[in-house]
Amino acid sequence: MSDDTETDGGTTVDVTPEEENLVDRLVAAKDGERFVAVAAFVGVFAMPFLLIDVLGVFDTLIGLSLGGFVGLPTLILSFGIVAVGYNILLGYTGLLSFGHAALFGSAAYAAGIFSNNVVASPLLAVVAGIVVATLLSWPIGFLSIRRSGVYFAVLTLTFGQMLYFYAFGPGSWLTNGDDGYTPFDVAGGPDLFGSLAMDASITTLFRDVTGLTLTLTDGLDMTVGYMLAALVSVLAIVVAHRIIKSPYGLILKAIGQNEQRVAFVGLNVFRYKLMAFILSGVFAGAGGALYALSKAGLTVHPNATLYWVVSGDFVIITAVGGVGSLAGPLIGAVVFEYIRLVVQGITVPGTEFQIGSLWRLLLGVVFVVVVTLFPDGIYGGLSSLGDRLVERFGAATDDRRPVEEVEETGGDD
Amino acid sequence: MVDIAGILLTGLQQGAIFALLGLGLTIILGTMEFLNLAHGALYLIGAYMGLFIVREVSVQEGLLAGIAADPAAVGLGSSFLVALILTPILMFVIGVAMERFVARPLYDRTEVEQLLLTFGLALIIEELAREFVGSQPFSSYAPDKLLGFTVSGQADVPLVGLYPRWRFVVIGLTFLLIGLSYLIIERTDFGLIVKAGTRDSEMVRMLGIDITRSYALVFGVGAALAGLAGLVGGTIIDVAPGIGTNNALVPAFLTVVIGGAGSVVGAIAGGIILGMVAAVFQFQAPQWSQIVLFGFVAVFLLVRPGGLFGSVEVGE
Repeated sequence: MSDDTETDGGTTVDVTPEEENLVDRLVAAKDGERFVAVAAFVGVFAMPFLLIDVLGVFDTLIGLSLGGFVGLPTLILSFGIVAVGYNILLGYTGLLSFGHAALFGSAAYAAGIFSNNVVASPLLAVVAGIVVATLLSWPIGFLSIRRSGVYFAVLTLTFGQMLYFYAFGPGSWLTNGDDGYTPFDVAGGPDLFGSLAMDASITTLFRDVTGLTLTLTDGLDMTVGYMLAALVSVLAIVVAHRIIKSPYGLILKAIGQNEQRVAFVGLNVFRYKLMAFILSGVFAGAGGALYALSKAGLTVHPNATLYWVVSGDFVIITAVGGVGSLAGPLIGAVVFEYIRLVVQGITVPGTEFQIGSLWRLLLGVVFVVVVTLFPDGIYGGLSSLGDRLVERFGAATDDRRPVEEVEETGGDD
Repeated sequence: MVDIAGILLTGLQQGAIFALLGLGLTIILGTMEFLNLAHGALYLIGAYMGLFIVREVSVQEGLLAGIAADPAAVGLGSSFLVALILTPILMFVIGVAMERFVARPLYDRTEVEQLLLTFGLALIIEELAREFVGSQPFSSYAPDKLLGFTVSGQADVPLVGLYPRWRFVVIGLTFLLIGLSYLIIERTDFGLIVKAGTRDSEMVRMLGIDITRSYALVFGVGAALAGLAGLVGGTIIDVAPGIGTNNALVPAFLTVVIGGAGSVVGAIAGGIILGMVAAVFQFQAPQWSQIVLFGFVAVFLLVRPGGLFGSVEVGE
């Protein structure tokens, strides 16, 4: 496997136009940036519909409340963005951090404090969150990366916990401590571009502009806030894709596989690791700020943002979804938040039995099962299934593979 | 005005529990290079075990409330001494089972995978506890009498002044247990194998010693120590599902990090240092105590990465 560091990552695909069929064309386009952008766009805008309306059908049919609620997709996206960035660190560079809650939480507080004290603008709040998380990830990363393995994990944990206890106690003047901080006083949050209310939905906007009434289902009737989160997510996914596919990303991947070799080649491993940490901090910042925006009129609490258990949640999301892939963490975020917020409200039909607090147990079991059986997570399992389907239905199976891989696996086939 | 001696005693008492926890973690880490994030869950099991052996408590929520014949009085209501004998035995069995079914399949997996899986296991155990007995905290179960001596109330000690009697017992008891483990590891053949295993497990195997069996024993001893720490800890702080990670796992890791992975003396010293630092700042500046504690560990880890007595650095 060590040869992988020298290949181009197995991404370049040359298919002669005559031989391709639809399946192969799709596979060929799968790793292209345009495909990723379009898929991300379709995905984030279809998600509320799928979660709320499609799964909600069960609700009306058999009384099983599988459907999501209106705020769920926003939460999924804010955690998903963090996980996408966290994956650059865990999945590619191979660093297990237990301190990303610090970056996520600081960004959430920064976004709120910025809007309450400087300018109440959702876009600038996201920027403020990203700036603070980035500035914070630099020293935390700089110090923690000096150690590796479990020591790195413990160091990130200590820095995260220091911030958590600061926000809880001595920092209460800033964070309001245990009572929680209200990021935006206005219900629904400040207006986007000064005129679009964040909690205005498509139907309200349509009515305001045309005076006509438009009827949409809950899932399709997205709010401005969700659309902002969705656009930030698409941007984050495209940026992450570009990082991962770049030569820079390949070096990060190489570090994850064999750090020593990368050092022997003459590259400054420390610098690359630090950059991976800071990059993941940027994503954590964006996710944290979006989380704060979704909490407009409510409160941001240290336990839900800065506590190390939240860092553990990012670990779970990334590992369950699939480390080392772009889609994995996003799938993980959907699964995690769905179990956390929807499954717990389910009552098994015909009985009085409620899932309730069992959700964490269920999550733990799902986590252990996935990590044991599919080390590459749900996405890893799905994509190997996909590969099999492609082999079944694709015409030019062997041409699709990079030369090196064909040589390597030739014996097994 | 609290005496300095009083603060130091509190630090010693906290530190002794940390040391007990760290000791269990460090011998597992040192011998098998296995990172057990479920160590805190073993503490949790020990604490609940102690609770239900020592007391008869009223369980309001959880499955146990439905199953128990009399939810208002669940437990044996036996003496602390019985708990002190039963807990380590039961925990030893749990530890051996855990080695067989959880740790053994993971020895050849990566460090990150070990962390992830044991983290998941910790999550499951904590949630099982929540399912069975609910989230309600049970008040700590310090006994009134032990071996015929009164151990509750305050004792008037020279230099220290009034200080809870039970805390003296805890200090004595934990140090007795620490001394016992120290003797087992330093003075017996079993300890010799364990120590040799921390240096070079392959060599031990070449000498014809079945180290796999020792692994199971080490895991059992580690679990028994964690369970005892839970039993003792449960007499001082309330027992609730969250204590496993917050009051045990994190301090245990910090202790091992300070003392050095795999070092028995290191775990004892690390635990006491940690307890002292925590106690001093709890008194001086309660709001800052946790921040200082974690900051202390961070600085320590950066300045002395191998810990006080560490010979090997796991993950380097």
